[in-house]
Amino acid sequence: MSLENLLQVYCYIALTVIIVMSLYGIVRGLSLTKKLIALTIFGDTANALMIYVGFRLGEEVYVPVMPTLSPSLEDIAWFASVAVDPVPQCLVITAIVINMAITMFLAFLIIQAFRLYGTTAVKKIARLRG
Amino acid sequence: MKGKDVVIGISAALLLVLVAVIVLLGGTAYTPSREIRPLAKFYLENCINLFNKDWWAASPEAVTSMLWDYRGIDTYYETSVFFLAIISGVALFRIAEIKLDAEGRKEEKELGLSIIVKTSTRIVFPLILIVSASVAFHGHLTPGGGFQAGSILAVGPLLLIAAFSRHFLEDRLRLTEDKCLTLRSVGLILIVLVIALPLITGAALLMLNQPKLWAPVSPFPAYVGPIWIAGTLFFLNVAEFLAVGAGFTLLFLLLSIPEEVFKRVLGL
Repeated sequence: MSLENLLQVYCYIALTVIIVMSLYGIVRGLSLTKKLIALTIFGDTANALMIYVGFRLGEEVYVPVMPTLSPSLEDIAWFASVAVDPVPQCLVITAIVINMAITMFLAFLIIQAFRLYGTTAVKKIARLRG
Repeated sequence: MKGKDVVIGISAALLLVLVAVIVLLGGTAYTPSREIRPLAKFYLENCINLFNKDWWAASPEAVTSMLWDYRGIDTYYETSVFFLAIISGVALFRIAEIKLDAEGRKEEKELGLSIIVKTSTRIVFPLILIVSASVAFHGHLTPGGGFQAGSILAVGPLLLIAAFSRHFLEDRLRLTEDKCLTLRSVGLILIVLVIALPLITGAALLMLNQPKLWAPVSPFPAYVGPIWIAGTLFFLNVAEFLAVGAGFTLLFLLLSIPEEVFKRVLGL
């Protein structure tokens, strides 16, 4: 196995370790706030994984933006041979913004729960009646 | 409790081992490699192909052309998810409609952070606006677009709230929650109009950017005189910029309502 492959596998393992840790945080977090932090870590790691999958190896790697407005056929062929995969970037653009909106909504819910019950501890909230 | 922890630990370890095995056996065939997927190749080859305009999006930016043209409806639904989250936040904080009374409000000079922070914020704030506008208006030519520009724009009011105060935003800049809600709705209506305009002109295709084989006429040209606007992409980027920026500003305004107001309203 070459060094390149080894680094690839290392990246996958590192990202998966973070995902597993954040999942554990979501499931076993003691406070709602901690669960929310774990959720944001989970979302960001998923986005990083997506971008990583879309990367391209090679000596010359280019952003998926054509540098000219009137490309010749050679330009297009060059562009398609060096640009990174634009599909994951496209997914991540919207995912980041939506993540932020959902995070803020959950933060609103947690703030409101704290105002009403005076705690964000999951066990204490579960014990409340009425 | 102990047993639960053990089960969670074992399943997490299993997940890790499984992923490692899958990657080692080559289950993710197209990991970072020298070649990209055929789908990505199609987008890269067609986004600004002047020689075969059947599938082109008239934009040198492959990501934006995909976002608002090739998978446009998908982005539209993602936008609706985003605004559903914002609307839920507003609904949750609807008591905020109660007018914040002036009693007990401190002098403006006493609010906020020190004069150093305030002065540097005064310098940085216009720059944030300019950067966000440039990212939005060039979204179809350079990296960027409506979503990113809106997020950058929302940083401005957040900075003002932190450095000055919420009252500075409301009283001096007249940026109220109603205005944000209106701006956000204007952005969304613009998006819907741009999406539906091809239907009115008889193209019978939603979100038509450039003419396609079965829809030979498009109301949106690729360029107007010397200015490249890339069909619908420019308008959609600007509309999304307005909507996202105003939506996030609205959320920040709601988050910055003083705690005492809530305590009083909720009777706690």
